[in-house]
Amino acid sequence: MGILVLPTTRRDLALAETTFFCALPLLALAGLVALLLSTELPLQGAAAWVPGLGVQWAWRIDGLSALMLLMITGVGSAVFCYAGGYLAGHPQQRRLYVLLLVFTLAMIGCVVADDLVLLFVFWELTSLTSFMLVGFNHADPRSRQSAQQALLVTGTGGLALLAGMLVLAQAMGTSSISEIVARLPATEPTPALTAALVLILVGCFTKSAQFPFHFWLPNAMSAPTPVSAFLHSATMVKLGVFLLARLDPGFGHWPLWSGALVGVGSLTAAWGMLLALRERDLKRILAWSTVATLGTLVMLIGLEGDSAAVAVGALLLAHALYKAPLFFVAGNIDHGAGTRIIDRLGGLRHAMPWTAAAALLAGLSMAGLPASFGFVVKDVMAQAKSAGGAEALVLFARAANTVFGAVAVAVAGVAAIRVFWRHPGVNDSAAAHECGPSLLVPPLALAGLGIALGLFPFLAESLVAAAGGAMTPDASRLLVSLTPALAPTLASLGFTLLVGGAIFWWWDALHEGFDRMASALDRFSARTLYERSLAALPRMAARATRALQHGRLPGYATVLLGSCTAALLAALAPGWATGLGPWPAPDRSSTGVAGACALIVAGAIGCLLTHDRLKMLLAAGLVGYGSALLFLFTGAPDLAFTQFAVETVFVIVVACVLLALKRQGRALSLAEPRWRPGHAVLALVFAGVVTSLLLLVMAQPLDLGVSHWFAERSLPEAQGRNVVNVILVDFRAIDTFGEIAVVLLSLLAALPLLQALRRPAAGTAREVRP
Amino acid sequence: MNPQALMLQVAARPLYVLILLASLWVLLRGHNEPGGGFIAALLATSGSVLWAAAHGPQAAARRLPWRSPLALGVAGALIAGLSGLPAWAFGLPYLTHLWGSLELGFTQIKLSTVLVFDLGVYLCVWGALAGYALALIGLDDAGPEDRSAHDTAATQETLR
Repeated sequence: MGILVLPTTRRDLALAETTFFCALPLLALAGLVALLLSTELPLQGAAAWVPGLGVQWAWRIDGLSALMLLMITGVGSAVFCYAGGYLAGHPQQRRLYVLLLVFTLAMIGCVVADDLVLLFVFWELTSLTSFMLVGFNHADPRSRQSAQQALLVTGTGGLALLAGMLVLAQAMGTSSISEIVARLPATEPTPALTAALVLILVGCFTKSAQFPFHFWLPNAMSAPTPVSAFLHSATMVKLGVFLLARLDPGFGHWPLWSGALVGVGSLTAAWGMLLALRERDLKRILAWSTVATLGTLVMLIGLEGDSAAVAVGALLLAHALYKAPLFFVAGNIDHGAGTRIIDRLGGLRHAMPWTAAAALLAGLSMAGLPASFGFVVKDVMAQAKSAGGAEALVLFARAANTVFGAVAVAVAGVAAIRVFWRHPGVNDSAAAHECGPSLLVPPLALAGLGIALGLFPFLAESLVAAAGGAMTPDASRLLVSLTPALAPTLASLGFTLLVGGAIFWWWDALHEGFDRMASALDRFSARTLYERSLAALPRMAARATRALQHGRLPGYATVLLGSCTAALLAALAPGWATGLGPWPAPDRSSTGVAGACALIVAGAIGCLLTHDRLKMLLAAGLVGYGSALLFLFTGAPDLAFTQFAVETVFVIVVACVLLALKRQGRALSLAEPRWRPGHAVLALVFAGVVTSLLLLVMAQPLDLGVSHWFAERSLPEAQGRNVVNVILVDFRAIDTFGEIAVVLLSLLAALPLLQALRRPAAGTAREVRP
Repeated sequence: MNPQALMLQVAARPLYVLILLASLWVLLRGHNEPGGGFIAALLATSGSVLWAAAHGPQAAARRLPWRSPLALGVAGALIAGLSGLPAWAFGLPYLTHLWGSLELGFTQIKLSTVLVFDLGVYLCVWGALAGYALALIGLDDAGPEDRSAHDTAATQETLR
């Protein structure tokens, strides 16, 4: 009746919040559909970002982006609704929603960006948010470890990707993705482009969990179920596939490209599926099948031909429509029966009929049975592989796909049939119960959509054709018919079903056998390598720190002077060939200069003769004062003043520290032998090198251009007669600003260290006093 | 209290004022004669070190503007950074310095953002270096109350 009902209780408030968050992706989905129906693709636009570097906020929505956008917002809507039920009453539900929202926005940014730099920024944002999402249950150490692993693997890949993108942008002279892709086929392969290609491949392979970086994805299953369904079925892990598909028109004709993609993709597809056999956790089984599907997608991108491009689009869509519901089903089982371990689940169809229905619908599509969208995809993929490419590659791809298809049937059987129809009575708890509607509607809707598209494939035709068209720009309009040719597909399907059914039937026996075989290989796996290097890093860091940061000042000074000497020697060696300058005669005999030099020499000799550090400090101070005097008599009064002040403050402060050490009863000086030939040699060599450096400089004509430039402009342009000061505060003011900020920041860093030194001293002082 | 420290403490007050005045003079003349923010800050730091030698580092910190080396340094950096902003109002790049003069009838005072910038450098470097120096000098000094307790004990010892 027009009455606005304001939420009053805490529960109403939570409900309102959930509704608000769920409405966001739904609205985006509705807006996107309206946009796609009303306009012609591609849409694009740009705004200036860093014009000096040619970097733009450029965006472009073509068929591939549209497909990804529909998946992100569509599956996103389901995930947001599901999360509302899955984490109802969780104290940190809002944090999950905010993270999911940021992640969704980053994904949207990734798929519409038309600039390499912009794409990379969003790419990294998805890595960061997925780190926080995988580690959502941060109180659980395993969860933290998985999040760290996902971040390290995808982050390292991200660095490779950044390097590759920069090289690519340099080589092509632009960072616009569409322009690069359009110009690449006409560009000659250069070593720089090859390097860029390899680096980008590494970045995409880590993101999409391709062999040998595949191990992080199943471990990321410690994330809450809505996160897994979103990140690891429809969105983040597809980013690598997306970028490969984006660049495919540009690099597609390179043998390296198709070789790497088909090789790695096929290997991942087969091996990932086999690894699913090792698992007992339903969610991890699904994760491995996701890895395998990503491998198949990568392999399809590597194959040549228009039909392969269509297959990529169709498989992307189909996988999102069956894998997300299956993840939801796994979450529901966890929620309703208290475990996801398949040995302790069985006969759940009585307790959870609606979840069983969703699992069955999604399982149909995953197994590729007729009347599901998975069947349509199988048909399109068969066409893609008959289309062409190098013979050996296609054969390898076909073999891998056979393994993939058969185990996929078995995995679908485990997720949809085993836990719901077979092994009754093995459940841990008899109290297995069905979940609420918010946990049932999302999987049923997505899985139902998969079946609807299987029955009426023409509904998806234009979308898949647009996505395929974006990957094959030559064909202006792809003729896509998703209506499957029944006979050959049914024949190959029959074989796949037979093998898959056998695997499903003997799953437990195969599990044991394969697990034993694979554990023998574990020692050589990429995961072991990752764990070893992760453990070795801190050990190496500790060793390096112990070797370099020993806390002995003479040691530091030796390293510092020694490396300076070595670097100077290396730099000066070519100069000695041309000869040193003549020993300079003093311009005029000045008693002041002579006195200053005498002071320096006296201080240096004093340093050598005494063994007491306090006296040594005073003698070193004499050297400093001598230098200041020298500056004063050679016409640099600013420098002289500074030197005087620095020397004074330095000597007083260091003397205070030395006296403080003495008062605390610590050794004023570590026992050093009086005769140290190594140090003597180092000192003499260093002095010799510096002297010869000066003589070399004297031999060159001195270029006073810069000095004259500043001297001439100081008064008219900056109204100051003191050139040194004018340079500091006017000509190079921003440098000075940076320097004083650095000085201040170094103090910020040093204060806690100094205070840490001071605390134990205060403690001992208190103990000594009665 | 030992008599030498007393001498130092008595001498420190006029010397401190004198050093600070000298540092200000060096700062102000810096644009045309030898001097400037950095040198002036070093001079001022030596003043703070003198006060620390006479009265302890905590007391020296309290005598600084804003009563803390860190606050002084931050204020200096802020002043130096802000001095570049007016340039924007005239459509010039950041830190382009502006000059103006103030007519006082009998004389004319030149004003500029350069001086503000140099003042910022002076305060920031003074704060940072004094922060280092005072922290190092105070390494075995637990706090003001400890120092005074120590002094009283020392005084009683000398009296005895």
